[in-house]
Amino acid sequence: MKSLLNYQVTDRLPVRVWAPDHVQVRQYAEASGDFNPIHLDDNYARQAGLGGVIVHGMLTMAQMAAMLTDWIGKEGELSKFNVRFEQIVRPGDTIKCSGFIRARSESTLVCDLEANNQKEQRVLSGLAHISIQL
Amino acid sequence: MIGKELIGKESESVLIKIRSEAVRRFAEATGIALSDQVPPTYVVTLTQASIPGLELPLPGMIHGEQKMTYLRPLYVGDSFSSKRRIKDVYERPGKLGKVTFVVIETSGCDLAGDLVFTSSSTLIAPVEGEGE
Repeated sequence: MKSLLNYQVTDRLPVRVWAPDHVQVRQYAEASGDFNPIHLDDNYARQAGLGGVIVHGMLTMAQMAAMLTDWIGKEGELSKFNVRFEQIVRPGDTIKCSGFIRARSESTLVCDLEANNQKEQRVLSGLAHISIQL
Repeated sequence: MIGKELIGKESESVLIKIRSEAVRRFAEATGIALSDQVPPTYVVTLTQASIPGLELPLPGMIHGEQKMTYLRPLYVGDSFSSKRRIKDVYERPGKLGKVTFVVIETSGCDLAGDLVFTSSSTLIAPVEGEGE
């Protein structure tokens, strides 16, 4: 596998494909303590104007985190991780997390991040800073 | 109802210990590989100390943005003290009527008092009586 030190501007990060379902959303509610009914109760979510249950934004962000930590391994540390939730993610969607190197110094990689659904709509955008252990 | 008068309101400082069992459950639920390091977004689930005057979740509230900064890594078994503060409250027109944005900042300090991480959550809720 390519070392973090060898990544250059415009290089792409290894992607992560993720297919959330109701079981995982329920499991995440329990693990995170976020039982907001917009994630668990279809009728409630419809009444709230969301058109049905939605996946926790933080669960989508965790997929992006998993993509980053799998890639970084022990070679560096995530020092900054910012995301914007742009579109609703629903159980049954297929989400592709991706990113590329926007800028780098000797010891820091700045990455642009995005996640897209099966309709090629962007559901999340963001940025990460990785400090490389030299 | 939530308004600008809440800006600056803070929670108490709460001491939190990162427990391996809870991290394992979080890793299983998300599919993140388990290691001695805490998954980057895990602390957001722990730092929910209540802020006087703010009752969450607001009806129909969704998460708009999340930012995290780590000054050093956090490990399973570490303890930190956490405090939350309302950074901003503002209204904006949305697709389905007026919405309120609430920005909450959280800090985590180690037992020596050094800052370990900060987190900022932007929550979006419909303004009651607006839309549809």
